[in-house]
Amino acid sequence: MALYHNQPMAHAQEPTAAPIEHRFNPYSDNGGSILAIAGTDFSVIAGDTRQSEGYNIQTRYARKVWQLTDKAVLATNGFAADGNNFVKRVKQRLEWYEHAHHKPMGLKSIARMIQTMLYGKRFFPYYVYNILGGIEEDGSGAVYSFDPVGSYEREACRAAGAAQSLIQPFLDNQIYFKNQQPEPGSQPFIPGNLPLATVLSLVVDSFTSATERHIEVGDGMEIYIVMARDRTTDDLLGEGKLQKGMEIEELGTLGEGQGERTFLVRQALKRD
Amino acid sequence: MMSQHPATWGQPTPANSSFNQFNTFPLPQTQRGQSSHAHHGPVGHTQQPLVTGTSVLGLKYDGGVMIAADNLASYGSLARFRDIQRLHPLGQHTLLGVAGDMSDFQWLKKELDALLREEDALALTDSHPSLSPKNIYELLSNLFYARRSKMNPVWNAVLVGGWDKVKKESFLAYVDLLGTTYTAPTLATGFGAHLAQPLLREAYEAKAGIDGNGPLLTKEEAEKVLEDCMKVLFYRDARSLNKYQIATITSEGVDISDSKSADTYWKFAEGLRGYGAQTQ
Amino acid sequence: MENNGGSVVAMIGKDCVAIASDLRLGNQAVGIASNFDKVFPVNDKLYYGLPGLATDVYTLKEHLRFRVNMYRMKEEREITPKTFTHLVSSTLYEKRFGPFFIEPVVAGLPTPTELDPHPKPFISTMDTIGCVTTPKDFAVAGTAADKLYGVAEGLWEPDLEPEDLFETVSQTLLNAVDRDALSGWGAVVHIITHDKVITRTLRARMD
Repeated sequence: MALYHNQPMAHAQEPTAAPIEHRFNPYSDNGGSILAIAGTDFSVIAGDTRQSEGYNIQTRYARKVWQLTDKAVLATNGFAADGNNFVKRVKQRLEWYEHAHHKPMGLKSIARMIQTMLYGKRFFPYYVYNILGGIEEDGSGAVYSFDPVGSYEREACRAAGAAQSLIQPFLDNQIYFKNQQPEPGSQPFIPGNLPLATVLSLVVDSFTSATERHIEVGDGMEIYIVMARDRTTDDLLGEGKLQKGMEIEELGTLGEGQGERTFLVRQALKRD
Repeated sequence: MMSQHPATWGQPTPANSSFNQFNTFPLPQTQRGQSSHAHHGPVGHTQQPLVTGTSVLGLKYDGGVMIAADNLASYGSLARFRDIQRLHPLGQHTLLGVAGDMSDFQWLKKELDALLREEDALALTDSHPSLSPKNIYELLSNLFYARRSKMNPVWNAVLVGGWDKVKKESFLAYVDLLGTTYTAPTLATGFGAHLAQPLLREAYEAKAGIDGNGPLLTKEEAEKVLEDCMKVLFYRDARSLNKYQIATITSEGVDISDSKSADTYWKFAEGLRGYGAQTQ
Repeated sequence: MENNGGSVVAMIGKDCVAIASDLRLGNQAVGIASNFDKVFPVNDKLYYGLPGLATDVYTLKEHLRFRVNMYRMKEEREITPKTFTHLVSSTLYEKRFGPFFIEPVVAGLPTPTELDPHPKPFISTMDTIGCVTTPKDFAVAGTAADKLYGVAEGLWEPDLEPEDLFETVSQTLLNAVDRDALSGWGAVVHIITHDKVITRTLRARMD
């Protein structure tokens, strides 16, 4: 009995620390930030174009925002390799859908598909935060935000990425009117009702602020604007509607086209 | 005693392994850490780079793109192979510059050369277009990402330089063991990202401007900048060699230079205590 | 910092400064008190905030009270915001290798003198070992610092009048601490002008 007891005791005194494993880490963080805001009949999806790893800027222009269909735009942020490959798979699924059903997938269906695709890799996740923006079947502007394993919800606005903590409280204040009250007797604030010009300047302010205070944000930004069917574009294309330094282009329809229009606005950000 | 084996570099060597201190060949059973346990779990794919190449530089210029890499393949801190070519042409208009594990690089060469032979054969028989730099880059990106997703990475960082015959413009892009990809008018891997990239960007932006709309560097200017960068790397990167090649990719095709050296200056060293001859 | 939570923000306006803090005291994630003031007066032109470890808040506050009183008696005048900043800084650096877990924020209006008849409003902030920065716009510290930076960068503008500065600093603080689990549970704002100090306790989310 004494022997029996001694044996495990002696064993327990051996060094039990495992060798220092240099296990391959399949993830990286490539910085940057994304943001989306929904309006009544439009949706704005934006991201900066810097890609970094640690203190190194890998490139000053890498995309994070992608046009999926005529009424859906997806922004990805986190591990860039996962982001790019996730977008590639989403686009492939959308193509298959169109072949099978002879129509593009609707926004809320894309959102649900993204959730299943993300959860499908629950135990080796895509290290990516996704924000999906676009126009819903009923013509309303919509934003869906996701966590890396697929939890999602529809919201009026969302910021994600390196500067999420800088931008989101600002958006709470300016989009959701948090901690603000209307003057007595005036109309109540309704989130998601702001005019396009206001939303655009909030997006620009968010990114210039984040650029100022966060080293991983900067270089440039791309703002995608998805307009609902038959919506006027005067508040975007009209004389003097864009801020200084902005360049705009209209992205052609991807499919048959049902009247939604997508515009891409680019603007430089500080490079330091 | 400090271990010289790449797997345990810089760690103190275990007391019972006083022989073969400077393992000059890979020993599969080399002890990792100081544990007496031989338990490493189930045999995994995970590897580590053994024989490695250091920085690769890339720079777009007027009429093409240049890639530079030195001729060294290191074994840990040992300058093991000093005449290795790390620039590899693929077809008429594409070239890889490879850093990282050299055996993975050789495997990669074999695979890609085989693929290109098939493609060449196809291109002879019908109107099958030859692989563009972008095609090859896409393939590499998918390969690297697929392998990292299997937790069996191809342990390299690769610059792909090329000339797009259709768009009539140069091509320069990066892909690494994580499947991370990006493009830029100037690129550098490893130490080069710290030491050479700022010099490359400065030279590029001095003429082209920050938006790249101005005139590009001439061939001569680009070559001068790359030679300066290779010299800086040789001075400060302990795993580099003053023997390197520069590849030039234009509409004319790929040209890989003979190995060359930068003119270096070491006079200052004589005045440094502990470096030059001791005078007291 | 993350032990008790709490945040402070200070801003410069036109001939005025503002300093504000939340009122939470927690034990990690558990809220303990909603009346924990972190901003203290030195005199009626100079306030400072001490976000960080609560026990050090008390120690440092008393320590600074002692040293300011000694200064007042020896010099027979009030300490200026700039001198007070250096006093705090050297107090912190004395404990360089066992620091107070506090990131102070100082806000004050220097009194006009013959040499400097129109002194500018002054704010400053320090790290835990007393490395000083004196911003021209705003200073933030505490567990909601990153959020405060984001909102302040978006809302602040130069030369705000006292009431506008009050609105700006209040909105900045409330919206930042509402996104911080360790800050909130009420807020207090001080607006320092040449003729008076306005102190208001804000109605805030209590979750």
